[in-house]
Amino acid sequence: MNNDLPFSLLMAAFVGALMLLLPHISPRRYFFAITVPPGFHSSDAGRTSLHRYYAAVVGSVVAAVLAMLALAQEAPALLPVVAAAVPGFLGMLAFLWERNRVAKVAPPPGAVREADLSPDDDRLPRWIALVLPPFAFPLAAAAYLRAHWNDIPARFPIHWDIHNHADRFAAKSTQAVFGPVLFGGGMMLIMILLTLAMFYGSRRGRQRTAIVKMMVATIYFLALLFSGIGIMPAVQFSPSVFLIPAIVFPVLLVAWVVKVLRDPKMPAETTPDQCWYLGSIYVNSQDPAIFVQKRIGFGYTINMGNRLAWLIMGGFAAAMAGLVFTLPR
Amino acid sequence: MPPSAKIQIDLSSQVPAYRQIVDAIRVLLVESTLPPGSDLPSVRRLAMELGVHFNTVGEAYRALAEEGWLDLHHGRGAKVIARGSPGLASPERLQEFRVQLRSLVAQMRAAGVPAARIAAELRAATEGLSQ
Repeated sequence: MNNDLPFSLLMAAFVGALMLLLPHISPRRYFFAITVPPGFHSSDAGRTSLHRYYAAVVGSVVAAVLAMLALAQEAPALLPVVAAAVPGFLGMLAFLWERNRVAKVAPPPGAVREADLSPDDDRLPRWIALVLPPFAFPLAAAAYLRAHWNDIPARFPIHWDIHNHADRFAAKSTQAVFGPVLFGGGMMLIMILLTLAMFYGSRRGRQRTAIVKMMVATIYFLALLFSGIGIMPAVQFSPSVFLIPAIVFPVLLVAWVVKVLRDPKMPAETTPDQCWYLGSIYVNSQDPAIFVQKRIGFGYTINMGNRLAWLIMGGFAAAMAGLVFTLPR
Repeated sequence: MPPSAKIQIDLSSQVPAYRQIVDAIRVLLVESTLPPGSDLPSVRRLAMELGVHFNTVGEAYRALAEEGWLDLHHGRGAKVIARGSPGLASPERLQEFRVQLRSLVAQMRAAGVPAARIAAELRAATEGLSQ
């Protein structure tokens, strides 16, 4: 039996499970990324739609398993690709197919818009200041590296393979030693700017506050992660210690997101259905919002019909590209 | 500012969005839900909340400023100002209001609202304005 087969079968099951979850990881006002009235999920039309989608996803996993069994001997390298791509692609096709069907049977969303005239909600919450303390971690890491400069070997590992063996090394230099700490600090700064852009470029609501909290938590995670990685040239410990937090943090984040999404008080933003493409791309030049609530999952996506959104995302991409150059090669 | 200072507009209505914004804010101003000194959101913020173009809100704010309700600050939104009591409307203007009121009453009657209920609603509305 091919060694890759059990892993690939597991992966196909995992991707299939994710696809089954897809209709449930969005605010309750949306069903297959279409605005629906309360109670639509449990209506006959809603249930039929959901069952049809489940059947399609299960079918795609079965198709992937059969394809993997057929390819196991002849092309084992293709197994992980088939395991991820077949249920992922066919599942997404089934999702979009159901989306079109729901759009035809769901009553059109209302065109009534409401706004609170209080200007108070435009002020950042005071706890936003919590983004500042985590900068102490990269600063402390940089200070530690500087103090222990002489302890850093002339050549130190910067990359490890899946078996935890170092497979790439860097020569001791300012960039190689301080690069990861600088990268982490830069990432944190970019996250803060992105948080501010999201706060001021999106509509008011509980989701906006929730997203800011999520960003603050992520900044703390980045601070600890890159400070830990940063001191490795001087301390030299196994990178496997980062494995657990790197798994636990996203899991906790996802658990929190699911909790937030299930909250019936979490409002859904009213955006026109016809401005959404493939359920996740929003293009509306008439809408001044730069960031709008996602229809699949939790968080914001950019309004691609807004020029300012392109400017912000362009700046974000340029800053990320610039930061990559700080890393040792 | 009380939490009930909310406005609603219907983007599918025949009435232009800017006119709906003017009418909705004027109700809050006349009822003193927005007393003098209250700050209104910036044009950009209100446009974002309502999902309409900045110019639509800008036009509405300018119309209210021309009526004497708002003081507009460039880039800082708008502030409600104390508005002196206007003189009695001209007979022509009163006739316009009468036509609008009759049209509204007719719509309510056509929708099955009894005359007594309409009278009560009008009374309640005017009492709300006089407070």
